[in-house]
Amino acid sequence: MTRRLTAAFLVAIAAVVVATAARAADPKEIPITIENNRFSPEEIKVKAGEPFVLVVTNKDKAPEEFESKDLRIEKVVPAGKTMKIRVRALKPGTYPFVGEYHEKTAKGRIIAE
Amino acid sequence: MGATFVVTLREAFEAALLLGIVYSYLERVGARAQYHWVTLGGVLGLLASVLAGLAVTFLSGPLLDLGPDLVAAAVMFFAVALLTWHGWWMRQHARAVKGDVQRRIDEARATQRLWIVALVAFTGVFREGAETVLFLWGLMSQTTISSWGGVTGGVLGVVVAAVLGWAIFRGGRQLSLPRFFAATSVLLVVVAAGLFSTGIGKLIGLGFIPAGDPLWDSSGLLDDHSVVGGFLSGLTGYRARPTAPEVIGYVVYLVGAGLLLFTPRTAAPATDAARPSAGALS
Repeated sequence: MTRRLTAAFLVAIAAVVVATAARAADPKEIPITIENNRFSPEEIKVKAGEPFVLVVTNKDKAPEEFESKDLRIEKVVPAGKTMKIRVRALKPGTYPFVGEYHEKTAKGRIIAE
Repeated sequence: MGATFVVTLREAFEAALLLGIVYSYLERVGARAQYHWVTLGGVLGLLASVLAGLAVTFLSGPLLDLGPDLVAAAVMFFAVALLTWHGWWMRQHARAVKGDVQRRIDEARATQRLWIVALVAFTGVFREGAETVLFLWGLMSQTTISSWGGVTGGVLGVVVAAVLGWAIFRGGRQLSLPRFFAATSVLLVVVAAGLFSTGIGKLIGLGFIPAGDPLWDSSGLLDDHSVVGGFLSGLTGYRARPTAPEVIGYVVYLVGAGLLLFTPRTAAPATDAARPSAGALS
């Protein structure tokens, strides 16, 4: 039983890794900074239909979680670190995001056109 | 303080719920002596969470850009398999304990599969554990006086989640045995369906599964950014703007698990032979 579960687990991981490797090469990178529990810039414009990468730098002394319910993204960015977040190709529209640990101030939106 | 309270309560509640269920499950099947399996799983889950938090904080490189997301997705699907299995196992027990053999579960058989209980506890704690650890850590590292309210709120959130888990444990002991099995099975299936659909959502976010347009928008009714919506989204996988793959995954899991766990089993061949064949008429 244990073996079967472990096998299923490994297969799941392998499938995701293979899928990652098979994906197309480097999409455009868009920098965004977290400072004083705020995003800068708070509004990001991207081309609709093209995947891109958010390069999130956290200049604060506390970790922050970049979260967008619409984009299905949740990613912790530790203090002083930079994380790359892949974002799928978007249909035209506005996609809000927040810093989950400081939701009152850390807010922004991605506008795909 | 209120904001941090809500965050940690939300993150820790699922773990507390699962721990409460597996502890009371062991109690109900007369395997109290095996509590330490759940405790072990929970403690290991906590350790793994701290390690994951440390890894994210102190390591760097391309592995960390995608790694945590892949681990998170894998843990979700693993947890779905585990909860389904646990539900199926409970069902076996529910049938075994009907009648006068209550509390006289075959201890050996129970012990044999107790690692499932330990794993449920482990994944339950580990799933949101790293995030909670990082969140609390972040709060504590901001050592201004104004932040102490935040720390208090964060710690209180975890404490209240634990108390709720305890309440579920106590409540589970009050229910009659069939009710207990039925209620926890339904709860586990809903949690697992939510996890399954959230896992699909994660893969959509990473671009592995095409998203398409949201099927509907119920954010006017219940926004998943709100406190209640956030809880529902954590526990049952609620999304205000769900996509087709998520909805299909949710429904397929619910139906599949429902068939597996809730349909009256057509009796085993041995008893079939002993009974007059009802099937022959249809």
